[in-house]
Amino acid sequence: MIIAERKPFEEIKNMIVGYKRILVVGCRTCVTICWAGGEKEVGILSSQLRLQSSRNGDELSILEATVERQCEKEMVTQELGDKVQDIEAILSMGCGVGVQTIAEIYEEKPVFPALNTTFVGMPEKEGLWIETCGACGDCFLDRTGGICPVVRCAKGLLNGPCGGTRRGGKCEIDPEKDCAWVLIYRRLEKQGRLDLMRKYYEAKNYRKVKRPGKIEALEA
Amino acid sequence: MGIFLCDCGGSLKNIDFPKISGDLEKLEDVAFIDISHSLCLEEGEKAITSRILSENINRVVIAACSPELREHKFVRLLEGLRFNPSLLSLANIREQCSWTREGDVTEKATELIRMAMGKARLLQPVERESVSVNKEVLVLGGGFSGMKSALELSRLGIRTTIVEGKSTLGGKLKEVEGFYGLKTSPKQMLDSMITAIEKDNNIEVLTSAEVTRVRGEVGDFDITIRGGRKEFSLSFGAIIFATGYRTEILPQDFELKPGGNIISQLDLVEMLRAPEKLKRRPETIGFILDVCDENSRLPTLSSLNNALAVREKLGSEVYVFCKNLKVDSEGAEELYREARNRGVVFLKFDEPPQIYCEDGRVAIEAKDVLLGEEVVLPCDLLVAEERALPPEGTKGLSSMLNIGTDFQGFYQDENVHLYSAASARKGMFFVGGCRGNLDLRRALTDIASAVMGSYSLLALGEAVVEVEKVRVDPEKCRACLTCIRVCPHGAVQLVRLDTEKEVAQIYDLACDGCGICSALCPAKAIDFKGYADEQILAEVEAMGETNERR
Amino acid sequence: MNVDNNKIVAFCCANSAYQAADKAGKMRLCYPDNVRIIRVPCAGRVDVVHILKAFEKGAAGVLVMGCQEGACQHLTGNTRAKERLKYAGDLLKEVGIDRERVKMVNLAPDMAQKFICEIEVMMEKIKEA
Repeated sequence: MIIAERKPFEEIKNMIVGYKRILVVGCRTCVTICWAGGEKEVGILSSQLRLQSSRNGDELSILEATVERQCEKEMVTQELGDKVQDIEAILSMGCGVGVQTIAEIYEEKPVFPALNTTFVGMPEKEGLWIETCGACGDCFLDRTGGICPVVRCAKGLLNGPCGGTRRGGKCEIDPEKDCAWVLIYRRLEKQGRLDLMRKYYEAKNYRKVKRPGKIEALEA
Repeated sequence: MGIFLCDCGGSLKNIDFPKISGDLEKLEDVAFIDISHSLCLEEGEKAITSRILSENINRVVIAACSPELREHKFVRLLEGLRFNPSLLSLANIREQCSWTREGDVTEKATELIRMAMGKARLLQPVERESVSVNKEVLVLGGGFSGMKSALELSRLGIRTTIVEGKSTLGGKLKEVEGFYGLKTSPKQMLDSMITAIEKDNNIEVLTSAEVTRVRGEVGDFDITIRGGRKEFSLSFGAIIFATGYRTEILPQDFELKPGGNIISQLDLVEMLRAPEKLKRRPETIGFILDVCDENSRLPTLSSLNNALAVREKLGSEVYVFCKNLKVDSEGAEELYREARNRGVVFLKFDEPPQIYCEDGRVAIEAKDVLLGEEVVLPCDLLVAEERALPPEGTKGLSSMLNIGTDFQGFYQDENVHLYSAASARKGMFFVGGCRGNLDLRRALTDIASAVMGSYSLLALGEAVVEVEKVRVDPEKCRACLTCIRVCPHGAVQLVRLDTEKEVAQIYDLACDGCGICSALCPAKAIDFKGYADEQILAEVEAMGETNERR
Repeated sequence: MNVDNNKIVAFCCANSAYQAADKAGKMRLCYPDNVRIIRVPCAGRVDVVHILKAFEKGAAGVLVMGCQEGACQHLTGNTRAKERLKYAGDLLKEVGIDRERVKMVNLAPDMAQKFICEIEVMMEKIKEA
């Protein structure tokens, strides 16, 4: 899922300078799970903004809300419909998609992002999220035993390893990282598919996916 | 809401009760404020009773001494009056207010009562129900601890099923030579226990079987057992783990390979069983302890025991090289003295000794700490150091159950002073060798604890539970698994609803009401009645109101 | 005593700190009126939102008091609270509040003196501002 993290407070604070009535809106899906923009984080940020403004003697009133999924127009309007009336600006704690969805629906209201959307990934354990997919649009995990070298190899090699692997199977570029191709080798070994390591694969065509991406499921 | 103030027999003189009463009775949701001298005595109980029965109130606030003292009493009183005790909120105006200083504390008392009122407004009723629990206990492991647990439970009328991985019962009893200080031999003990178990109708034994899955909670554990090629599920109320330990001879770091002159304790025991069969009597036998593992309670006991046996049966000279000589088990000190009296020589080293083969014998070279000199001892036989380790499968089992293990891998050693044989997971108990307790006396204590623990949980066949006191809202739950991973009591599991959605669900009986899940839930989906976010925040708000009113 | 905006909110765990506070009362150890104790079942129950709200509502300092390390009945409650307070400290710093205005305290149920001591320490901290 999408992993994001909250921007530094200074940055957020500067975005809303001058606005007296704002709506802080979170999202109950991806950003809740990665502890960045769920109902809880909406409460925390709002509390901080209130503390900040009362210390500075600024006037600031905050309305808090959380949408089921900020990337769905219907869900946004259902949750926020009656709340945006007297609002001067909206601070979204959703991912970049959520921010843009809200901005499109409420065009006259400035919408600010409280999060930085960072990568597509998964929780490795409680409180730790790692990037595992690069969304390259041309998945070849079938050949690499389910380990993605686009993301996990520092050089993004398709026919690794590079030969610079350090002792202990660590990456030449970043010694904290495991060499992805060592991991791939071991995985294929367990599956008895090491013959795949001998095959040569053409360079990836990153233009296969037009950016911005678009997928149409239904005929016009 | 109805408010009761107690002035503790008139002793809380630095609180102006009439003033508080005057201030608060003006509030619109206050039905009445009563001042009493002793809410904990009959007079007070009568006052509460008559008010509750006659007035139409749905919240009760009591401002008195510490809830630690009287909460239970008030709860019971309200239960008796059929008023849901979860709608009671308490303010501590004695220990934490009146008694904190000499002068007038009326203002503080008023605020504390307002905080309790703020919380009371948001309290929700929690129903108490009786749920039936399965009275049967699963004993995992058929060694000494397992068998003993089953027999003791049977005496209390509790049925058990022993699941043993090997084809026969006995565990380490089949291997050990003798018990330190006991006249009964392990073989006699084993035979008498097996006979008792066979005769006992309360005990069922499944050999060559293992547990592959544990689901559910105390009172209703759903256990999947695999025996032979069959797999079946059984339900139990509690589980006693008696999976024992295994010994590792000559661990890697020792750098020695077993061979003719270097033998294990087991080999020595075999030898001693039939000393007449030996081709040549070994004149010198050396024991090594504490090189690889300084937590050597059991190996020390075995060595001392076997050293004595050697002196008795073979008459050989015995030397024991040790670093610490861990004799903290019951009877171990006496064993050590007896060994010394019988001529066993103990040498204490600091640096690990060198061991090498020379002229067909094994030589041990070490610096004796007391002599301050290097000592070289050629032996005919060297009994190698052993290490006691948790049994195979412990890692898998402990992670499946979310039970911690200590640095050696034995079960949940780190919280020993809170849970001696019980674990953080209600209904799961650990006894004997698998807890790293490798001597008889400690194992017996574990067993007594576990038996009484499981008996008191299950004997009545039912348990009173607070229904959904902590509840996951399935609408808000994102199945992020945080609560499942962090619950120290293993009380949260992932379930599939009728709507096919997977959400977390809390087991009422296993839940210990700590609120850790509720604090961590990123979706704010967990409602902990009595300590819900809004209830705690209401207390905070009420505290702040006084400032705002000024 | 003027207690405006000088309040100390102490979230006390029922298994340790709350009892220590009771004992302080029994021993008639004095401490100022501006302390407000909120009882929680475990220090791990206290969430960052509770702490921030306390500051919003006029608290000048917040103490979270739980069991000693290794003695938490719920195994991890006190360690989680400790971690969470670090995060709370960061959040407070972001809005210009001294992060030491929120503090984790570990004590046993009979440590009345320590309870008083920690309150006094926090009072000093507040006066510094």
